[in-house]
Amino acid sequence: MFSLSLIEHDLPMPPHLLSRPLLDAIKAELERLFLDKVIANLGLCVSVYDIRSVEGGSIHAGEGCSTYRVSFRLLMFKPFNGEVLVGRISGYDDKGLQVSLDFFDDICIPGHLMQFGTERGPDGRWMLKTEDNDELYLDLDDEIRFLVSSTKYLPIPIEQKEGDPPFAPMQIVGSIKGDGLGLLAWWAADEEGEEAAEQ
Amino acid sequence: MKILKANAGSLTNFEVLDFLRSRGAKVDPMGCLGVVAASECKVYEYLLQTPACNQTRESIYEFVKRSEGFRLADADKLNVINWRPSSAADAYAMIEECGRRFNRDERGETCDEDERVQEFLDMVKEVLPPPPPKAEAEAEAEAMQE
Repeated sequence: MFSLSLIEHDLPMPPHLLSRPLLDAIKAELERLFLDKVIANLGLCVSVYDIRSVEGGSIHAGEGCSTYRVSFRLLMFKPFNGEVLVGRISGYDDKGLQVSLDFFDDICIPGHLMQFGTERGPDGRWMLKTEDNDELYLDLDDEIRFLVSSTKYLPIPIEQKEGDPPFAPMQIVGSIKGDGLGLLAWWAADEEGEEAAEQ
Repeated sequence: MKILKANAGSLTNFEVLDFLRSRGAKVDPMGCLGVVAASECKVYEYLLQTPACNQTRESIYEFVKRSEGFRLADADKLNVINWRPSSAADAYAMIEECGRRFNRDERGETCDEDERVQEFLDMVKEVLPPPPPKAEAEAEAEAMQE
């Protein structure tokens, strides 16, 4: 779910930070630059993990700040394909389900990656019809376990039309097709059923 | 900005939680402000609801050592540590090609895959600490007792 990325950056240090110790100032500046932002193909930056080295400090002509070459590691949220995650259902439409991890919301589970037999109910919610004709609804705020099937980094749109959903730079496509995937309640109930049968 | 190494190592949920704790993250939203950023605070709160919340470094070392007998890839181990499967269905979701992985024992002889999965689950149960019961589940359990 999380991984580290090693990055080198030429960091201009604004003069108003000169009064602070160098490492503190660099860290604050890095946090301002990267925290809570998506870097294409790297993932969502959660935190600055550590600073490996600081070099330079040269002042370029005509600038009021010193520039340091800093190499550091960022703690990124970047699930690998095939990783299992647990989230909450935050919405649905005719394409599929939207899932939220509280700190990351741009996850969708398209209809073709759901268990066989999942369709939309009369009120628009998705439901799974079982062999016994039970209707299992996938409801809002239910906890759902899914497999990461791919992660897309979309290019920044040139034009944003009115009424478009907010732009999501990183989008995870999840799948709930398979054993043990889907609502946590389905499989927990299953377990209790087995135990009852054993008794 | 130059990316020297896109993937300089994966972290388990526990390691992230441990790191955020050492930074001073707390559940109290006011206590968090100023010490850690909002993004870190949210991740911390999410991780507290996962099985990582009461794992220790020792329990994870122990798990890695004892899982050597099972033919698991690192990614599978990561899934298992992060989510701590408690039933066979969980294990099948978390481990790729679970059936094929588990039809041989540590000496390479064929064995029953269901028994082997159960053996693995027992080991997980023994080594990794169980997640604390959730508030709702507790309320339900109390209601059951009454």
